[in-house]
This record gives sequence, structure tokens and C-alpha cells, in this order.
Amino acid sequence: MPDEARLAAADQPLVFRPKPERPPPTSSIGVLGWMRANLFSSVSNALLTLLGAYIAIVFFTAIINWALVDAVWEASNRRECLDRVGRAGACWPGVIAWIPNLLYGLYPKDQVWRINIAFLILVAWALPLWLPRVRSKVGIGLSAVLLYPFLASYFFHGGAKDLLWTALIALGMAAFAWVWLTTLSERTTGLPFGAVVARLTGAPEDDEAATRTRARIAYAVLYLVAVGVTTQWSLSEVSTRYWGGLFLTLVISGFGITFSLPAGVMLALGRRSQMPFISLCSTAFIELFRSVPLITILFMFNTMLPLFLPVGVEVNRLVRAIVAVCLFAAAYMAEIVRGGLQAIPRGQYEAASAVGLGFWQSTALVIMPQALRIMIPTIVGNFIGLFKDTTLVSIIGLFDLLSMARAVGEDTTWLGLFLEPFFFITMIYFVFCFLMSQYSLNLERKLGAGQRR
Amino acid sequence: MKKSLSLLGAAAVVVAMSGTEVVAQQTLAQVKQRGALNCQVGLPTPGFYALSADGKWSGLDVDMCRAVAAAIFNDPDKVRYQSVTSAVRFTSLANGESDMLSRTTTWTAVRDTQLGLEFAGVNFYDGQGFLVPRASGITSARQLDGATVCVLTGTTTELNLADYFRANNMRLQSVTNENVNVLVETYLGGGCDAYTNDKSGLAARRSAFPNPNDHVILPETISKEPLGPVVRHGDQNWGDIVRWVLYGMIEAEELGVTSKNVDEMLKSDNPNIKRLLGVEGNIGQGMGLTNDFMVRVIKHIGNYGEAYERHVGANTPVGIPRDESLNALWTKGGLMYAMPFR
Repeated sequence: MPDEARLAAADQPLVFRPKPERPPPTSSIGVLGWMRANLFSSVSNALLTLLGAYIAIVFFTAIINWALVDAVWEASNRRECLDRVGRAGACWPGVIAWIPNLLYGLYPKDQVWRINIAFLILVAWALPLWLPRVRSKVGIGLSAVLLYPFLASYFFHGGAKDLLWTALIALGMAAFAWVWLTTLSERTTGLPFGAVVARLTGAPEDDEAATRTRARIAYAVLYLVAVGVTTQWSLSEVSTRYWGGLFLTLVISGFGITFSLPAGVMLALGRRSQMPFISLCSTAFIELFRSVPLITILFMFNTMLPLFLPVGVEVNRLVRAIVAVCLFAAAYMAEIVRGGLQAIPRGQYEAASAVGLGFWQSTALVIMPQALRIMIPTIVGNFIGLFKDTTLVSIIGLFDLLSMARAVGEDTTWLGLFLEPFFFITMIYFVFCFLMSQYSLNLERKLGAGQRR
Repeated sequence: MKKSLSLLGAAAVVVAMSGTEVVAQQTLAQVKQRGALNCQVGLPTPGFYALSADGKWSGLDVDMCRAVAAAIFNDPDKVRYQSVTSAVRFTSLANGESDMLSRTTTWTAVRDTQLGLEFAGVNFYDGQGFLVPRASGITSARQLDGATVCVLTGTTTELNLADYFRANNMRLQSVTNENVNVLVETYLGGGCDAYTNDKSGLAARRSAFPNPNDHVILPETISKEPLGPVVRHGDQNWGDIVRWVLYGMIEAEELGVTSKNVDEMLKSDNPNIKRLLGVEGNIGQGMGLTNDFMVRVIKHIGNYGEAYERHVGANTPVGIPRDESLNALWTKGGLMYAMPFR
């Protein structure tokens, strides 16, 4: 390089000036670019894509033709459907006629509103958990798990109430009222319901003792009102023999899911415990229930248990099934939780001890929150499995969703109709399982937001 | 799985039998105290224990439950139906959950002698047959050599089929499933040359085919299937009640007593009718019922012929003609024969 040029350049500082960006080649952007990169990147990929598309088109047109285009929507029996379209199209009137049974089983049709109301109450109970500016979410969640079942049981089963039962139902009602009173007061004033009552009745803002006393009085009044309402209110009895369909599936899996998580946590802690007796018992329980198929456990609980009971004592068939499902699910959950616990580094335990936390505090405040977050995908996977496993109760004579779908094809009016009901319940199972899995993904994103490395 | 379940079931029955003698003696008292009869039926099956879209059970076997309830309570609706799979049917009876089962159960020596059961009679004589497409030109089961046959798994049907083919030196290929509707679909789709099941079910299934007349039921009946209600061993009195309610219904038909004329028949001079309806004698009291128990059964349910025509007769979708079949009265060439009421 000549010297003059170098000197001239030295006058000005050297600055890197990039050339203006050129647009990407048209073949790599847009739909076409995407397709080229992902579907037709090579000859073999292109062939596979075409084959896949062909199969998908054939498959879905066949399904759509069968389920929608050629389907019969109005007929009074299967013969009419067959005479019109043969077996080429679906015969939906049979499924439509059976929808009440598929959803509620043999539950008396004039009482079905009770199930709907109880379901709406559950939705309303859980709704505050997603609302912003609600602080008592732990209390609301716990009350939903612990107290909602009492209220729901009464809606579902009804019948005579003794003293204890009245007290429990009232507790459920009071809890539901509390959930919404707290939600409303926290959203408007930022204070829990008890504190708001205390303010309104004139307790000074800085007097904590007076606030607490008045809040307690408010809760007691709420409970007494609930007891009063409960004693005045009654529903006719609907024996569990009539429960069935989707309703029964949800009851069994609902109990299984809500019971298995806490029980699984306790069992997992028990198995890791230093205390030999507790550890032995937990291990024995887990191994026993995990090494036996669910169907055998159901069978044992259903047919063997009555043999060991005294004459005249009858344990409800549904209760037996629910207990069997709960114990089985708890054993599986315990091993999932134990796996999660093992992923927590030793340092976490030591750090928790170092700041003076005892066993329960360190478990509840340090270990479990971390472990449970890691376990979400597995736990929800297990819940989905449990939801589908409940179909096994059909073997012991409970008419869950699957057995009801089978019954459609045995109804004399709709004899032989079995693809349509199965198609219908496939959709139901898909919706529930998909929602569960989406919720878990959502939860993972939320809880893992600050932890991404 | 089905097989292992049946094994488990058999084991449970054996265990149960050693423990249930206590339960046995007091079935009637328990039923009365409970205020309802626990009657076990099977998974819904047309004609015998059918479940309709409005959630009601009906059928020939259901009428057996209703008849016993009518005899005890004068109310045929005081029945709690228990619908369980065949794998656990005997266990559910043995462990005391069911008071009786009435669900097209074949009376066999093994069941009667080794499972602690007592068959209370026969309310339907069935037999296994074949359904083939008319276009195949087959007119006899003997022509099925080498055929592919669709058969229900886990029942005696499968065994009977194998026995029949072996006895006649024919080659058999079977397609099995535990769901009748799946088998029928396979058969209609050409997956097998013939479909076999108890004849009581064949006609009903055929009626739900797109073109019923394209299929024929072959004349051969390859097995004997006497079906009837079953109770636990050890409570003879309870067995007597179920047995004589069934006989009573058959006897009523023989004597011409129907649900419509039973009130006039109470004034009949025929001593057989008098004893059947409890105007004379005390057959009912001897069993712990009232003497007019058959009046109640006939009023609510009718005689055997009425129940038959209502649920499985030629004018029903199930459509099994009764004339000259095994299920006709003995006076009309059938096997329905009640022991005398005296």
C-alpha cells in the first residue's frame, strides 16, 4: 500500500460500514420457503410429504364423509338409518337419544340439574384462582379440594342427613360463600373478607386482636347461616347405582386425582424417611400396589372384600372402586414424587437446615416447590393415564362412559350401533385429556419463567 | 386377560364358597329387610336384559327378577339391577352381592356341581347356530369346512365351535373378539365367512343388518344351552322361591291364567288353578311368602307365554318364533314343563 494513502487514512478514524442487507432469496421465505425447507428439502423428503398428504387426505375425507356428509341426523331407529344410507354414513340419532345416558348414566332425568349445579359450583369455586388481585389463593384452592367434595356429595347423592353430615355440608356451603366474599372484598379493597367485616363494624385499623375477633365472629355467623340453610334444604336420594356415564368417570377420576397427589407426597416422604417403620410401611404399600395391575385391585376390592365383611354389611360398590383407584394412583404418584425429590441437590436441604428450618418447613417451603415444578409433566401424564384407566371399572359393573357407549349398540332400537357412540366418546376423552395436557404446559411456562437457564 | 380374569373369578368363587355358608340361610330375610331384590343381569343384551335410552331395564330375564320381587313385595320395581361382565358373575353371586342372577346362564354340570351354584330351572332353551351370507350358497353347517368363523371369546360359544368342527373332522379358522358388535362388523365387512352365536341372538343381529334377507341362519343347532336363573348353594328355601315362581309362570300359561283374567280365575273351580293362586293349600306360606304369591306375579308380569311374547316373541325386534320350538309348552311339542303345583 502506498504511503500517501496510509497517511490519508490515518487522518480519519476507520469505521466499519456494513453493506445494506440484501433480502433473503425468495425461495427461503414465506410459505413456499418454509415448505421448501421443511417438506421438500430432498427427494426422499418430498416423496414422504406427498405420501403423508395423500394418506391424510384419504383418511380425513373418509372420516368427514362418514361422520358429516353421508350421516343421518334424524331417524327414529337404526333401521331407518340403514335404509337411507346403509353403513356408509354415521347414524347420529342413536347417539343423540343416548346423550343423557352417556353423560349422566341412569341418574333420574328430572334430577340431572343437581349434577349440573354442582359442576357449576366447582367452576365458580375455582374461578378466583385465575383472577388477578386475589390473595387468598392457597385458602381457596385448599377449600376446593377439601370442602367441595362434601357439598358435591350431597348434591349428587342427597337423602337424609344426620348431624355430622349436616355439619359437613354446611361447612362446604360456608366455604363456598367465603371464597366469593373474600374474592370480592380482596378485589375491591385489597383486604380479606374478615378484615373488611371488622372495618365495617368499626374495629380500629391498627388493632389486630379486635380485627381477628370480629373476623372470627363473622365466620361463625356465616357458618351458622349455612347450617340453618342446610337444615331447611333437602334433596331426594339418588343411589350410586344410578350414577354413570361421563359423570361417573369424572367422579372416580376426580377423587383419584385429588387424593393421589397428597397421598403420593406423604408416601414418597415416608419412603425416604430415616425412621425404619415408616419407611418400611411406605415401601411395602408402594411396591404392593404398584406390582399389581389396576384391574386386579379393582377385582379384589369389588368381589373379595365383601367376603371378609360381616353378614349384612354392604360397602357401596362405587366407594370400593374409588378407594381402589385412589390407592393405586397414590402408589404411582409416590414414585413420581420420589423421583422429583431425588432431583433436588443435597445443598438445598443443607441450606434449609442452615437457616433453621425444621423437616416440615424445609420440605414445604424449599424442597417441594422445586420438586413439584420439575414433576409437572409426569404428574399430569399420570393424571391423564388415571382418567383413562377409570374405564376399567366397567369390569366390576359400573356404567362409566365406555360401558354406556357399549350399551347403545345393544339397545333394541339402535342395535348394532357401535362406531358412532365410540366416535363420540373418543371426542369427549380427547377434549378432557387435551385440556389437562394444555393446562400443564401452561402451568410449566408460568412456574418455570424465572428458572430458565 | 379375559382368561386370567375368569381364573381369578373361579379362585374367588372357591374362596367364597368356604365363607358364605353363614350368608346362605337368610336370603329371603335379607331381601325383605333391604326392601329390594339384588338381581344380577349381564351387560345389556336385546330381549333378555335390554337397557333402553330412557334408562329402563327390560327383557325375559329381567322379568324373572321382577317376578320374584312381585312375589315377595307385590311390587315388581323393587329390584336393584346389577349389571356385571360374565367374568365376575358367579363371584358376585357367591360373595352375597347378588341375591340371584338371571342372565342367560347355561346350566352345565361343572357350574352346578363345582361353583357352589344352584340352578333354579330353565326359562329359555337356546342353542348355538351359524349365520352365513345367502350369496355363499351354504345351506348346512357341514359345508363350513375350512371356513373362517367369527366367534365371541371367553364364552362356551368358542368351545362349542371348536368341538363341533373337531367332531366333524372339519378345519376351522376363528376370528375372535369380546364385543359382539365388532364381530358383526367384521362379518359384514367380509372378514369371516360365518358368524356363530346362540340362536336367540342371531335373529336379532340379522334384523339390524343393512339387508337382513341377504343372510340366512343355518338349520343346525350345535349345542344345548338351557338358560335359567341361578342362586347360591346352601339356601334351599331361597332356591325354592325362585324355582316355583318360574314354574308358577309356566303352570299359569298351561292353565290359561293370564294377567288379564287372573281375577276371574280366582273364582275358578279347577283345583289346579285354586292351588296355583293360593285359594287352596298353603304352598306360599311354606316358603315364607303368602299363599297368593302367584296372583301377584301373574298380575304384574303375566304368565311365561306373555313374558316371552313381550320380549323375544315373533312380533318383537328379537323375533324368535315360539311355536314348535323347544320353548313351547310341553303340550305343544316344546320342553316347557312345570312340576305340578300340589
